[in-house]
Amino acid sequence: MIGASPPRVEDARFLRGEGRYVADLRLPGMLEAVVVRSPYGHARLLSIDTAEALALPGIHAVITGADLPPGIARIPCRVPTHGEMSGFLQPVLGREVARYFGEPFAVVIAENRSLAEDAAELIEFDWDPLPALASGEDAEKPDAPRLHEAGNIASRWGFDLGDVDRAKTEAAAVVEETFTSQRHTAMPLETRGLLASYDAARNLLEVFGPTKVPHTNRAILAGMLDMPEGDIRFVEPDVGGSFGARGEFYPEDFLIPWIALRLKRPIRWIEDRLEHFAAINHSREMRFTLTACADAEGRITAFDVKLLADMGAYIRTHGDIVPSHAAAQFPGPYRLRNYRCQAVAALTNKTPTGTLRAPGMFEANFARERAVDRLAAQLGLDPAELRRRNLIRPEELPWNTGTESANRPVIYDSGDFPDVLARALNAFGWDKPRAAQNGPLRRGRGIAVVVEPSAFGPFEAARVEIDVRGRVEVISGCSSQGQGHETVLAQVAAEVLRVPLESIRVRHGDTGLLRYGGGTYASRTAVMSGHAVTAAAETVKAKAIAAAARKLEAPEDSLVLEDGYVRLQDAPEVSLALGEIARLLAPGNPELTPPPPAANAVDQDGLTATSHIRGYPSGTSVFAVHLAEVEVDCETGQIAVKRYLLAADIGRAINPKLVEGQLVGGVAQGLGGALLEELTYDSEAQLQTGTFADYMLPSVAEVPRIETMVIEEARSPSNPLGVKGVGEVGTSGVAAVLGNAVADALGGQTGLNALPLTPERVLAALEETP
Amino acid sequence: MKPAPFDYAAPDSLEEALTLLADYGEDARPLAGGQSLVPMLALRLARPSALIDLNRIAALSGIAVEGAALRIGAMTRQAALLASGEVARHAPLLRQALQLVGHPPTRARGTIGGSLSHADPAAELPAALLTLDAEIVIQGPAGERRVPAAEFCFGPFETAVQPGEILTEVRIPLHGPSGSAFLEISPREGDFAVVSAAVRLNLDENGLCREAAVVLGAVAPTPLRCANSEAVLHGRGLDSKTIAEAVAALPVDAVEFDSPFAGRDYRRRMAGVLVRRAIEAALQLQGEAA
Repeated sequence: MIGASPPRVEDARFLRGEGRYVADLRLPGMLEAVVVRSPYGHARLLSIDTAEALALPGIHAVITGADLPPGIARIPCRVPTHGEMSGFLQPVLGREVARYFGEPFAVVIAENRSLAEDAAELIEFDWDPLPALASGEDAEKPDAPRLHEAGNIASRWGFDLGDVDRAKTEAAAVVEETFTSQRHTAMPLETRGLLASYDAARNLLEVFGPTKVPHTNRAILAGMLDMPEGDIRFVEPDVGGSFGARGEFYPEDFLIPWIALRLKRPIRWIEDRLEHFAAINHSREMRFTLTACADAEGRITAFDVKLLADMGAYIRTHGDIVPSHAAAQFPGPYRLRNYRCQAVAALTNKTPTGTLRAPGMFEANFARERAVDRLAAQLGLDPAELRRRNLIRPEELPWNTGTESANRPVIYDSGDFPDVLARALNAFGWDKPRAAQNGPLRRGRGIAVVVEPSAFGPFEAARVEIDVRGRVEVISGCSSQGQGHETVLAQVAAEVLRVPLESIRVRHGDTGLLRYGGGTYASRTAVMSGHAVTAAAETVKAKAIAAAARKLEAPEDSLVLEDGYVRLQDAPEVSLALGEIARLLAPGNPELTPPPPAANAVDQDGLTATSHIRGYPSGTSVFAVHLAEVEVDCETGQIAVKRYLLAADIGRAINPKLVEGQLVGGVAQGLGGALLEELTYDSEAQLQTGTFADYMLPSVAEVPRIETMVIEEARSPSNPLGVKGVGEVGTSGVAAVLGNAVADALGGQTGLNALPLTPERVLAALEETP
Repeated sequence: MKPAPFDYAAPDSLEEALTLLADYGEDARPLAGGQSLVPMLALRLARPSALIDLNRIAALSGIAVEGAALRIGAMTRQAALLASGEVARHAPLLRQALQLVGHPPTRARGTIGGSLSHADPAAELPAALLTLDAEIVIQGPAGERRVPAAEFCFGPFETAVQPGEILTEVRIPLHGPSGSAFLEISPREGDFAVVSAAVRLNLDENGLCREAAVVLGAVAPTPLRCANSEAVLHGRGLDSKTIAEAVAALPVDAVEFDSPFAGRDYRRRMAGVLVRRAIEAALQLQGEAA
């Protein structure tokens, strides 16, 4: 089954309209919530008057900060950070000072959403606007507004490896430029949503809707509510996208369950698109002040980076991990040893930030690869040739960059980078003669080489159960946001258990079914959950063979598992169905374990097994080459992407069709970040992009056909399947390759240092071109 | 994103609709295709006391040539206009503009009268109808009145249609063989333009410009008729020098819109690029037609 592309298990229900998202769920007695948010980027709240709102018929409660339990904790960070972050964490409801447009200050509970919105308009807030800090550059200025008692800088850290100063002195080519990546966000097409309900009879608080890391979120909620984790069950319904943002622990993830407990009514909150823009994690706002050096032989000798990340108003669950990734992995696939980075995570009056598909990497790859093209221009080398000379060589792997992020070393595990590059260039026709340019429409082509890390996290869990009818149930600690995990994990189980996909059911994202689970982030599910399911299925298989050996009175090594039966290799008609073995192993069955003993029989749990596999601290990494051809209208600055080729060595594809889908979707999302998407704020830190009319996602007209070249050679040593994560490598290099392609079309290396690559920026770069 | 409360009525006739509008007073709004009004309701940017739904009034839809004009009912869907042979024959510029209006799903619901009444400064149809010298027919309690397209838009979302009135028809004069082009720059296909340019040209047998209409959209509160540029073109052969003169005569000072994706200077420059390209494209079409 591994390596096949069967139709997705999930498709049937979606095609029939039977998908169930959180907004499809209703419970008897359910009320709806609307969160009322700050209209200012920075303001002091003088008073709130909720009387008029409460007086409206159908309104059950208006919750403000004053109603919160005394001493309620702020939302914790769930990852290691560079230093102490407690002074910057976000409260679940603001009380005195609003620090970003969209910060929650009240929750209205009503019979339905329309009434709740009517009431929300009647709450009288008396705000005293404060000077706002709208840019990370200003955070350290002496006259900057002070956002927190702890200041405006969340963290500073860095690396100084090798001898950067000497490399600078000896360099034949030096590039000094500043590159910026703009604030944008993941924008899943399903907004966030929660349905929380407390059942006193079962003493169980059930929370439907959170995804990504349900077990982690349950632990956070249990801590904040001071409840045992066992009294809380998180259940994940169908989900329409996360891309790293949806499913983190947000203020609502406390407020909605807490209000459900307080009012003893099921409460549903469905985020609308307006609030989504201001409330969900933003990402990507970074500035790289970069010096890149090369010697006369075309060896890249050093990168010296000053990194400034605009974290928004609070530090959320992701801490400073996004700039941390960018800083640690900035050197990319190059074999240089002189690397210095000084990183600063600054706070501003904007929505707090977190991860977004290829966090830190999309930004860092843009800065580095634009600089490498400039080095090539200075050295008079073809950009592909300069990269070829500097890629880490296969015999140098595993390659330890000497940096670390979130206490994890950065190690590239396997691959042949120069070979992937050669194959990609050949497929693209890089060396073919190019047509002459004439007229205002100019063609350009670009290259970017990237290493995308994947599969972080300390562990993952899975459970495999086979019932007396031979049906297989796979329970995974992952969550699914639409990627096709039910198909992929069924394929993994089928590979071990030799049963058809139809007899396997995959469940996920339900803390009631599995005590521990890691979740879905960092392109980890194929790797980590694939590993965990393999491990559990292997244990089940071993159990089945051992039981069959006893029943059939045959040595274990004479038995094979195929088509759902354990058979005697030399006499296949002598067999036991898996369901029959499950019956034999059921607790209390006397056939293999005759009574007594009366003692607790530890292994008498049927034909089942649970696995908890450990992760590789450095995960596993994919090397990829992005190649693109663009057409630039030199009169209007408009960019049309004419061709896009992504070559990646992913180790091994469990389901090639889904791999291709991840790569193509990743490129499409990256294209939005490279050309179109931006969350803009004015100088008062007012968010200006609040609808899809002004936040521009790429549509089918803007995304060309994406060619993928999936190479399955560099198996990952991190897991028994040899797979690597593919969710983010498509996004990772898009801004880099398009920036380089546009510069090539313009015929020079000026400008194009800032994202998104808007028509105005293209024209400005053209004007500077000598 | 739930609308504030409102009343709703769906009359079968124009007379009934006008009566309802009068009854509900000036906070009532007619509802046409709903492609702009419904999102504005959801955002609570529009808070009408009542919606008078015009979708059941069959008499407000239709396309017909009558005398020297192409008559288009206000509730005619944009998709129907795009599919109409009469429109393609008699008002190719309208067709060119419609191809840039939204997407197939929005054009399936969106109407010509709704788009005009909404009068978004970046919308294609008001600019196209200004270029076509169309006439807008408005019905109200006092009967019918006709307003030239040039006097129809007052400002962003403000038109000659008064509270209690309904835009019922658009009349486009039959211009005879002419070349036209509608070009725009928008961040994505189907977006509102950041600059649009509409050009309609009529050349005489000697290739001299008998009539020229040049309009810029999306750069100012209302579409801009570029009379000075038209005057440059009038009576002359349209070589590149003349076209450059016409571009130089554009009212770029009136280009005032500014946005994060498209600054004012960019829009000013692009006005020239688009008008030049539109004239060239219109000339080519006129040549092919001749």
